[in-house]
Amino acid sequence: MPIASSPTPVRTAPGLRTGGPPVPRSRAGTRRGVRPLSERLAPYILVAPAVLIIAVFRLYPLVLGVNFSFTGDGDRNGQTVGWDNYAILFADPLFRESMRNVGLLVLLLPVAVAIPGLLATFIYLRVPGHRVYRSVYFFPAVLSPVIIGAIFNLLLAFDGPVNTLLAIVGLGPVDWLGDPDVAIFAVVGVHIWATFGMALVVFLAGFATLDASLIDAARVDGASLPKVIRHVIVPGLSRTIQFVVVTTMIGMLTSMFGLVYVMTGGGPEGSTYLPEYYIWFQQGQMSRPALASAASTVLFFVMLGVGLLQLGILRRSGRED
Amino acid sequence: MKRRTLWTTVLIGPLALYGCGSAAGPDSSEGGGEGTLVVWDWKSGDATAESYIEQAKADFAEKHPDVEVEFVAQPFDQYYNLLGTAIQSGEGPDVMLFNGGGQLRDRADALLPLEDYLAEDMDRLAGWEAFSADGHVYAAPVTLQGHPIYYNKTLYEEAGLDPESPAATWNDFLDDCTTITDATDAKCFAMGNKEGYGIQFFLSGLGSGVLTPQEYDDWIAGNRDWTSPGVKQVFEMWVEAEQDGLNNDGVNSTAMFNDEFAIFEAGEAAHVIGLMSDVGHWKEFNDFLDAENVGVMPAPLVNPEAAPSLPYDGGIGYGVAEWTADPELAADLVRSLTSPAALEAFYADAGAIAADTTIDASDSGPAAAEIVDQIPTGRPALHVALSAETLELMGRLSQELLSGSVTVDDALSQLAESDQAA
Repeated sequence: MPIASSPTPVRTAPGLRTGGPPVPRSRAGTRRGVRPLSERLAPYILVAPAVLIIAVFRLYPLVLGVNFSFTGDGDRNGQTVGWDNYAILFADPLFRESMRNVGLLVLLLPVAVAIPGLLATFIYLRVPGHRVYRSVYFFPAVLSPVIIGAIFNLLLAFDGPVNTLLAIVGLGPVDWLGDPDVAIFAVVGVHIWATFGMALVVFLAGFATLDASLIDAARVDGASLPKVIRHVIVPGLSRTIQFVVVTTMIGMLTSMFGLVYVMTGGGPEGSTYLPEYYIWFQQGQMSRPALASAASTVLFFVMLGVGLLQLGILRRSGRED
Repeated sequence: MKRRTLWTTVLIGPLALYGCGSAAGPDSSEGGGEGTLVVWDWKSGDATAESYIEQAKADFAEKHPDVEVEFVAQPFDQYYNLLGTAIQSGEGPDVMLFNGGGQLRDRADALLPLEDYLAEDMDRLAGWEAFSADGHVYAAPVTLQGHPIYYNKTLYEEAGLDPESPAATWNDFLDDCTTITDATDAKCFAMGNKEGYGIQFFLSGLGSGVLTPQEYDDWIAGNRDWTSPGVKQVFEMWVEAEQDGLNNDGVNSTAMFNDEFAIFEAGEAAHVIGLMSDVGHWKEFNDFLDAENVGVMPAPLVNPEAAPSLPYDGGIGYGVAEWTADPELAADLVRSLTSPAALEAFYADAGAIAADTTIDASDSGPAAAEIVDQIPTGRPALHVALSAETLELMGRLSQELLSGSVTVDDALSQLAESDQAA
């Protein structure tokens, strides 16, 4: 932990200085009083580029977007409309559906984390063929969402191979992308399939830091595999798991646009709308940029809430160490 | 504490100015520089449109040899997003391609009225309604787009039906479908409603066989009675077609572009409500099924008082941006893009029914000839008169109608509300 070890060298520095020739007190005092202007400005000049970049390219557009969300569209372009856009937004069943789907993604998060976690555990425990699985699992992570969406469009089509397989085992066809109760799970499932490789790699890196002797000791004591996972592996990997939770959540909320666009286009019946797809739809297809700005603002605050929550969790886990 | 207050002020301060400016940007700016006209479209990159662009450029170069024309082909699926961004910033192309109907009307604010510049072309070209809004013409039609009912003559023959005399009434049509399905296993309709377009084609393709001419005209003129028996009947037919097994399986997950048309081309369905130009049209079907096996039939008569007609509008057309430096020059380019030689090339190579009514289409197979024959009596398509919002809602409700999660009455009352708000 670099923060914990850093105080030591800092503390030794004044100690070394006191070991040198004594500096007259009065002279040090005057030097501090007349420090040249350039020296006093230096820190501000040094941080200015970073602050400017953040202000111009991050904060300004953000403020502009919030500002636009209080203006009108179409005939009312440029006029102040107060909270009208937000009223329209929360009255729109499509936007409410997209917000419900965000809630669903949060609920599905444990599944999205457990799958790479379990598979990484099996690889770590050297199940037969673990070397092959390690590369195979990572493979989808290098494909673009558009390609993945196109592949699964074919696989999940009503007369596609998945339904043919189901028919062989005597199960009725499922309209994977046409049934509003199923489609969102199909899209999220494909997203998890496509991205779990990255989380798997993080888990494997976490396993590399795990003390193997603890697992050996547990086995010698006769612990079963579920018990080894529950009492040795999970506690040992707690920081890794937290990291994967945060990155998976961000990935689910911000990078599913491509899959939704290719696989369902928000349908059927608007059941697979997500906020970013809604924003794109209102701005581009319906030419209602102000309404899209309002939706972006809401999404921003949702993300801010989720982000702060995760920061809190991370900070708490930092203290435990 | 003081510093925190300062930061809070810096961050929150600008919010006090909320509601200033506009999300759609300033009103005026320039397009291409001096001596250059920039055109945005999604066609000029296609090999099939090459000769069309060449002809149009040549025509324009004759009139204005010093002006350079730059065609920028955008991907169609991103086109209106990119155009929206250009309109918001008030800078972009001088001349741009549009689909007729809602896509153009929603952006009429950013376009220049062209009726004074195009007066000479008014009679030669057809399909102006789709490019007009509030009494002004905002673009000149290049192609006509419509929704003929295509049928597969081979399947008719296999089922023992006369391919040259398709059913004229809805009941006979349903009987023919039963006969075809029993004999060949082919479905009645190829239908894809994943994007919510299926209902639009269904409404326009079959509507003229249900609504009386008066109801039809009122609908186009904007006096739409969503609760009238005729309109209700079209939506009930939409539900019944699905329940009676007329459609292919998985309508809500079948994309119209191009899975629906692929089903028809594979001979797995006897009918499809297709397009006249670009895709899903006679030229494409001719390639798969052979020209002599593709037929076009008028909408089957549901209501004896109805008068079936070909539903069509201006398909794509070029408009002029309101911010262009020299409106007359840009309008001249639009005239070149709709010149007889250019449109003839577009019809021949791209397989579009061109907006120029003087082009002879008799050598493109019976389907194209039948469509061209019906153009003089054709009327604007029902769904093109609706706003983009109402169409989006109709797409969503049509999916709910198929899955049974909304009733026809409920759907129609929602549509009436959306239509009145637009």
